[in-house]
Amino acid sequence: MAGSSVKVSVEALQEHQIQEVTLDGQEIYVQQLSMSENLTKLAHKIDFFKDESDGKGKPASEGEKEVAEDKQLAPFMPSLWPWDTVRNHLKCGLTEMSVLLDVLNLVKEKQYLVADPASQDTPDTRPAVQLLAKKKSLVAASSVLLSGAERLKKSHCEASKKTNDFHTELSTLRKIWRLKKVSTNIVGDLSYRSAGSRFWQGGSFEVRKSVEGEQAETEGEGGAARATSLEVTVPSELEGVAYIQVEVKTVPDMMDLTSSALKMPPGLSAVPTNAYWQSKLESAQNVLFCKELFAQLAREAVQVKSATPHMVIGNQIITNVFPGHQLSIVLCHYTGKEKRVPPSNTKLEHNHVLEHSLHQLLHEVHHRNVRIDAPHPVNATYGMTKRRRIAGPAALTRQDMIHMADSESLLSQIIKQTKHAVLRIRCMHVIDQMAVSIQDPQITAHWGCLNSALQSSVRIFITSAGYESLNTLSRTSIVLLIGVDTIRVVMKDGRTCQLSFEDKELQDLLLWQIAQHHTSVVQQIDN
Amino acid sequence: MGVTCVYSYPVPDGKSGQAVVEILQRQIELLGALRSGHFCVDCDTFQSILQTSINVQPKTVYILHNSEQPASCFAITDTSLCLTADTLFDGLMHQLKNYYQQRKNAKMEAKGQRYELGDFILKVGSASLAGSFKGIIVEVEYCPCMVAVDCWGLMKELLQSVVGSVADQPPPILKNRQDELYSPSITVSQYLDIFNNFRKLSATNQIGR
Repeated sequence: MAGSSVKVSVEALQEHQIQEVTLDGQEIYVQQLSMSENLTKLAHKIDFFKDESDGKGKPASEGEKEVAEDKQLAPFMPSLWPWDTVRNHLKCGLTEMSVLLDVLNLVKEKQYLVADPASQDTPDTRPAVQLLAKKKSLVAASSVLLSGAERLKKSHCEASKKTNDFHTELSTLRKIWRLKKVSTNIVGDLSYRSAGSRFWQGGSFEVRKSVEGEQAETEGEGGAARATSLEVTVPSELEGVAYIQVEVKTVPDMMDLTSSALKMPPGLSAVPTNAYWQSKLESAQNVLFCKELFAQLAREAVQVKSATPHMVIGNQIITNVFPGHQLSIVLCHYTGKEKRVPPSNTKLEHNHVLEHSLHQLLHEVHHRNVRIDAPHPVNATYGMTKRRRIAGPAALTRQDMIHMADSESLLSQIIKQTKHAVLRIRCMHVIDQMAVSIQDPQITAHWGCLNSALQSSVRIFITSAGYESLNTLSRTSIVLLIGVDTIRVVMKDGRTCQLSFEDKELQDLLLWQIAQHHTSVVQQIDN
Repeated sequence: MGVTCVYSYPVPDGKSGQAVVEILQRQIELLGALRSGHFCVDCDTFQSILQTSINVQPKTVYILHNSEQPASCFAITDTSLCLTADTLFDGLMHQLKNYYQQRKNAKMEAKGQRYELGDFILKVGSASLAGSFKGIIVEVEYCPCMVAVDCWGLMKELLQSVVGSVADQPPPILKNRQDELYSPSITVSQYLDIFNNFRKLSATNQIGR
């Protein structure tokens, strides 16, 4: 579009600072410094009085001067000669130097000014005063050392203090046993009530301070008995030592339950009266446990109706597990007050495994009384087992629920375990005897390492030496699953059969299998 | 818990329901079964109260109990979804009475004798709606098996000796689920199916009258 056009002017960038803008808009620029003027400005910045070392290597302390300039806004006076300040600084410097020179000359001349060393106080040379001073300092040092030594001695004393004063012993006792203060006496409880036991007999013991004279006497001995200042008194019926003796023996006659006499333990040491309280309490608790166990077993033996009758005589329970095998459970309690009985000649075979099982079973009973499966609701049925809770959603039938609620008595459980143990030993004997007597096909037995108290398994291999390379017929294997009463046999071809507890049956079966193996191997060689 | 087949035995005209039940029971006893108590299956109906519009059908939930599973309670919706729960579920349904109301006079029950014959459990009972007799129900359970298709032949043989031609085909609910693992909820669904048939029959009878 032609016509009036816009004027475009090109300007260079401003390099000069604006000093003043007049009312008509004209800008007055600051006079630019010439080279010499610029140089004087820089020289003015140099501070001759400031020490170089202050700046720590900074050149000419220009940085500090900048800061000072910002604060002061010292105006640059162009009327003065630019080097004026420089000259003044140099002049001052010269004056100082001259003064220093004069002073040094004066001192050197020694006519107008003399430098003499200053006199000091003489030390006190009198020995008495010296001695007193030394003594005071020594006393101070010794007092510090003594207080330190006292502190050490006190702490050492406390650490190695004899722990048999009444209260420390009482606190240790409280850590292990349940104690209660009843009026002026301290009474404790050593029964298993808090663990779930429902036994009628309680075990409460009394704690008191031991007599002073007794303590001194035992300290003098320093031998077997530990010096204690605390005594416990256990109830008289729980004194002594007790254990349950479990024995499985073969009796030649069938139902000879009356042949066993009342047993006494062979030479068991009683707990001495001045024994340490822990061992006393522990043995009393053990006595209580054994009593409860035996009472439970005796009650079940009398009440529970079972196929074989059980006999309870005094402290003994006798029952037949198999014809010819008898299980006897005896409660042996030795209080130290019975008259000495000559040790019996017959060696008593104590079955430790079954005794341990009995202890475990009773502990399990206690535990079941206390343990309640989660959840513990506030507003619903409390104490249902997990399986009972799941019975609803899992739609269990009545039969299933009846099975779930079944619980066996202690005696029947231990009888089952005994039966299994006896059966297992008998099988072992049969197999071993056969392996020893029969040389031609070799018999090897591998007993399974995973077994329970009620079931074991063994795999028997029948092999012919030298002919193992023949195909599948060279090795016959039988698996025996030994249960409580019966043995289940799985033959090589997968057939199973059930044997009773008679060892003759097992012997016949093994002989049959050996014969079969033998004939099949001979046939193989023939072909 | 094994495969169960539930059938409703038709009552021939001229005979009373009780007489037919006794005939069936005698037949079962002749087979050699031993009586082992009673059984009872009952059904309650719950309907939802909240309805957004008149056209929408109210939702129904059926609550069934089976004496064979005494600790359980079964809930079936009208979309045939089944829940197996503890008996406390009844209490829960009553707590929901603002949303699900129990239909009055709609309680169906099947009661009768239970027999055991080897691995089989046979039940013969009469079904009644609010006290009035509606029909006869026969149930046979084969305990060892849990897959219907495997043991249908065996069950058919036994059923035919008890109920005759009624048991030519497996029950309709079981027919669709022959391959899967059997659970008590299928039994209860079969019962519900039969109960609903009885209800429909009685409703049509009433309308016809």
